Amino acid sequence: MPQQTIGIPRSLLYHKYRVLWTEFLHALGHKTVLSPPSNRAILDKGIALAVDETCVPLKSYLGHVASLSGMADAVLVPRVVSLAKDEDACVKFMAAYDIVSNSLPGTRLVEYNVDVKNGFYESREMQKLARRLGASRLHAFRAYRHARRLQNEWERAKSVQQDALLDSDRSKILVVGHTYNLYDELLGKPIVDFLDKQGVEVLSSEYVDKPTARKLASNLSEDLYWTYNKEMLGAVEYYRDKVDGVIFLVTFPCGPDSLVCELCQRKLKDLPMATLILDEHQGEAGMHTRLESFVDIIKMKRAAKERESGADMRAEAAAVGSVS
Amino acid sequence: MATQGSAGHGRSSRLGARERNIVSTPHMGDYWIPIKTLGELLNCEVMVPPPMTRRTLELGTKHSPEFVCLPFKYNLGNYLESLEKGATLLVQAGGGCRFGYYGEVQEAILRDLGYDFDFLRLSGNTNIREFYRDFKAVNPSLTWRKAAAAFRVAIAQTRALDEIDDFIRKRVGFQAEDGAMEAIKKRFMREIDALRDVKAVRAVHARTLEELAAVPVNMPEDRLRVGVVGELYVLMEPFSNYFVEKQLAKRGCEVHRFVTVSQMFDHSGRKRHQRHIREMLDYAAPYLKYHVGADGTESVGMTHKLMKDGFDGVLHIKPFGCMPEVNAMSALQRLSRENTFPVLFISYDSQWSETGLQTRLDAFCDMLTMRKKRASA
Repeated sequence: MPQQTIGIPRSLLYHKYRVLWTEFLHALGHKTVLSPPSNRAILDKGIALAVDETCVPLKSYLGHVASLSGMADAVLVPRVVSLAKDEDACVKFMAAYDIVSNSLPGTRLVEYNVDVKNGFYESREMQKLARRLGASRLHAFRAYRHARRLQNEWERAKSVQQDALLDSDRSKILVVGHTYNLYDELLGKPIVDFLDKQGVEVLSSEYVDKPTARKLASNLSEDLYWTYNKEMLGAVEYYRDKVDGVIFLVTFPCGPDSLVCELCQRKLKDLPMATLILDEHQGEAGMHTRLESFVDIIKMKRAAKERESGADMRAEAAAVGSVS
Repeated sequence: MATQGSAGHGRSSRLGARERNIVSTPHMGDYWIPIKTLGELLNCEVMVPPPMTRRTLELGTKHSPEFVCLPFKYNLGNYLESLEKGATLLVQAGGGCRFGYYGEVQEAILRDLGYDFDFLRLSGNTNIREFYRDFKAVNPSLTWRKAAAAFRVAIAQTRALDEIDDFIRKRVGFQAEDGAMEAIKKRFMREIDALRDVKAVRAVHARTLEELAAVPVNMPEDRLRVGVVGELYVLMEPFSNYFVEKQLAKRGCEVHRFVTVSQMFDHSGRKRHQRHIREMLDYAAPYLKYHVGADGTESVGMTHKLMKDGFDGVLHIKPFGCMPEVNAMSALQRLSRENTFPVLFISYDSQWSETGLQTRLDAFCDMLTMRKKRASA
């Protein structure tokens, strides 16, 4: 089997399936090359390539694919339509393959197509990809099984790690957003890092236990059919009594988020929430002021609550004392 | 205006609590006629929302999420204006894309505004079985027979509307006397609105087509032929696209459009839908390998087909940020660039500027005419 170098854009679904993809390709005996972490030059390249109204993460994705040119034999651009019978992924994942091939004609792409509604399952489709890359049937099966197992272990470890934060005495903030925004070096990461420095525990909607989250999502919305948004909404439902505040991280002009965040804010009125909308011209200073004041409010609320419950306890103690 | 707490879960929380409901559903073109026929099955008074105005959009925009797509804002505006006039039962259809999620969010917004109403979210939009099940939940005395009969009438009305509009779209720019076709259309609408019998609807349909064919037209051999493709709602609601088809006709174009409710019926059901997508992908090759969502694949497929059929240009219209159509645009831009085939892209949002559209259409049509002259010279 000829060894190939497969390029992986460090963007969009990479942040979700990084273990699955790299382990799978390595098990098949291929080399992988990652595009550099997002930076201004990559985003600018993407902006130049994309249709104006494309959402920021997809613009950035195009920049990442372009930055792999000359470094790989082919670039992995999967197509994800639906991950469950009654659910959809955002339509940009449905079209990513065609958008890349029209915006960067001449780039060799390899893809697999997940469309559960129409009978295309991840396991079979990824094994088909392996066969197209020259692997034997058995080799393909083993590579997928191995990679899927490691991906599942990684996801479980992350959610256990996150739940451990709940025991902390500090204020806790849940950051809700698409994985590809939360963990993008240019978009979400600076915000998460900044929050970290404010002396609060930062939890992310990505590292919630996924099956639990998908079930819980129906408490807030019964019609929701976008898988990734379901996980985000389920995370809000799972953590709502365990955190002190929620920050929604949205990129302009995200279609699913425009509706889901609205619904969430209308249904959970007793939880402090803030929405940050990121676009391609963001300035950090404005963002920092807003984050600082949100964290201040949350800390103040928590302190007030602690004083109250402390007062209650003293009152109780006094009452007990007076009886005896 | 009574108040009601936060939205309950369930398709509609308190249906049947009222003695008599007044049902209303958002506008889309002239389809209020078949919608009314179906609405009567709910054993309610049917209220057609007040005609669309700029106020509809302003009201809708005021209470909508900031960058939700435009049809959401128009729908919400229609609901608000209907509630003001006393509607008590609002209906929202289901469907793909963001549209399937409109209902739940719109209901929550209207509840927060304090209105008292019931909200019925349909599970599909072209499947008679689903319609029957959803309607039966509101009106238990509904029989399958009655539902099927009304459905047939609604389909006949829809087909009549679509065929007549199609005829007018192609020829209205060339009528010898201004307003002749519009007058016939107006009378036709009044007539079929009152009919509840398939045969009668078909008779009016056939007669109207004859009347339209008799209107004198002056169609030059070298007239411009332009296709309009894009997102379903802005294509079908002329108010939302600033009457772009009429504007093209006024500039001497024969206008073709393919997305209609009749066509949605023709492609409903899993098998037929898949066949339609495959056909469109064949047309779209080599610019698309996969379906890109909603009407996006059709936009690319039809544009490529029209180019090969010798059309002069294509207008691609969509609400700002419409994802399936943005997906289609990367293929359309490449198609247009590689074949030097004119495609004009227009995005609509809640900023109203008809003049902007006028100048762009002027330039587009001038360019098409010049190309045509150069080609024939």
